[in-house]
Amino acid sequence: MKRLILPALLLGLAGAAQAQQPASTVIAVPPLTSPDSGDKGNRMLAVGWDVTQAIEADLRQTAEVMPLKPNRDDYYSYPEVTAPTFSKWRSKGAKALVTGFVQSRADGRLTVGCYVYDVDKGRELSRKGFIIGANDWRRAAHKCSGLAYTALTGAPGIFDTRVAYVAESGIGEGRIRRIAVMDSDGGNQRFVTAGEAMVLTPRLAPKGSQVAYVSFTGGKPNVRVFDLDSKQERPLIPGDAISFAPRYSPDGSRIAFSMMLGSNSDIYVVPASGGAPMRLTTSPGVDTDPSFSPDGTKIVFESDRGGSQQLYVMNADGTGQRRISFGGGWYAAPVWSPDGGLIAFTRRGQDGRRIGIIKPDGSDEKVLTTGPGDEGPTWAASSREVLFQRTGAGGRNGLYRVALDGSEPRQLTTPQDGSDPDWSGVMD
Amino acid sequence: MRKSAFLLALLLGASAADAQLPFLRKRDNQPQQPVLQGIDALRADFAAQAGGTTVYYGAESVILGAPARAALTLQANWLRKHPEVVVRIEGYGDGLDTRDHALAVGARRAEEARSYLLLLGVPAAQVSTSSWGKERPGLGRAVTVLVR
Repeated sequence: MKRLILPALLLGLAGAAQAQQPASTVIAVPPLTSPDSGDKGNRMLAVGWDVTQAIEADLRQTAEVMPLKPNRDDYYSYPEVTAPTFSKWRSKGAKALVTGFVQSRADGRLTVGCYVYDVDKGRELSRKGFIIGANDWRRAAHKCSGLAYTALTGAPGIFDTRVAYVAESGIGEGRIRRIAVMDSDGGNQRFVTAGEAMVLTPRLAPKGSQVAYVSFTGGKPNVRVFDLDSKQERPLIPGDAISFAPRYSPDGSRIAFSMMLGSNSDIYVVPASGGAPMRLTTSPGVDTDPSFSPDGTKIVFESDRGGSQQLYVMNADGTGQRRISFGGGWYAAPVWSPDGGLIAFTRRGQDGRRIGIIKPDGSDEKVLTTGPGDEGPTWAASSREVLFQRTGAGGRNGLYRVALDGSEPRQLTTPQDGSDPDWSGVMD
Repeated sequence: MRKSAFLLALLLGASAADAQLPFLRKRDNQPQQPVLQGIDALRADFAAQAGGTTVYYGAESVILGAPARAALTLQANWLRKHPEVVVRIEGYGDGLDTRDHALAVGARRAEEARSYLLLLGVPAAQVSTSSWGKERPGLGRAVTVLVR
């Protein structure tokens, strides 16, 4: 009887330490092992230890899963990977177990095997193997973390994803801004632009292979598209009309954006590969910040057609436009969640700019942050967190992530100050 | 005696704000301007003749007030006399606004100013527009920049 109460107690304590999170699932993360022997075996165990620590760091970022601290001396044999001693992990309070192995291949690459178990029921939940380059172990760890997260929560893992943002150095007039793309853990950062022209609002294609952004090259804002693999770049549309606020459709085939025609900003959609833009809105005033629903059939956007900025939803062909925000104040920059259930937005009021969420039918609005300088929300692939830009009192910008329960936002580590984040889906 | 009468006359002639610095003002009147050439000279002339290059908008507003229209009238007079000069009107949004809406508001402000210039007879090809949104210091205005 006592043995049953103890894990529950531990769970309660872990929950309290996470600041009012409801019971997170405790997961054991023993060191990855290796079937190899000798020197090779030792090298593989060393890689395995790196992977283990990265998995722990990944899972520790989440509200739903709480990893037990891995212990390097806690040697885990290869047969144990597929036949764990469940009683051992039960006694440590774990409800789940993620483990695996690293094996060297003849071609110099590595095989990483990853296994997730339900400790209580004593059964396997999920398993997956990856072949990776010898130096690509971090990627394998993110895949493995994602496997565990999805097995325990049912939501896509957010670890093997990219974040595009505007990296800022300097402040005020001399501030240099470059489009940067990094892995969501802050590693592997690359610059897309060199910093000569002012740049804004990078938006990743769904698989993270392209980034559309706004550049002031040529003296006025224009949407440009950069291919991360070929390093080729081109304007989204010909001509020199002011264009901004690009956003990919979920299948990556189209880009919705804003374009000025005279003093009128309207929403257009164009094939991502180029072509003739189709106009979706015609109201006088500012229509901007379009974002597709995950099935691609609807678009949420902001419009001040009624006198103040509000959120509207329309069909992807521009028909059926209707307002969904009625909470007072001004609503801007809506973004549809990957699971389709919610729309994140920036709300302006007397007390500054804050991040909030609302259902696509306009119900259940909730403000997540306190502001006063928050804007530019973007969703985690899990649809359970929102990443946004916070401008501090000194004018410096940083990226913060907040869970949907409105708990205290945490800063995402970036090599530079950052603004305008965009968080990709899970990569293949 | 003659000297003090001269001073008094100077003081009376000057406006209240610079009454205390008659000699400084006098020295300022001497031609010390560096010689400007090309676009720089045109820019200086435009700024002097039009009484400035900037018009201001109320917060959240894209409507030209009376001072803005007066300033644009002077700009239009100059531009009609210099049809070879091309200008770009750069609009600015409001600092509390969100990024993309501020871009659109800046573009609208620039476009309102351009429309007024065209109304006053400036050829359309002479004036283009752009927007800095809230991305640069100096919000709530539209600035006419001589391009060439």
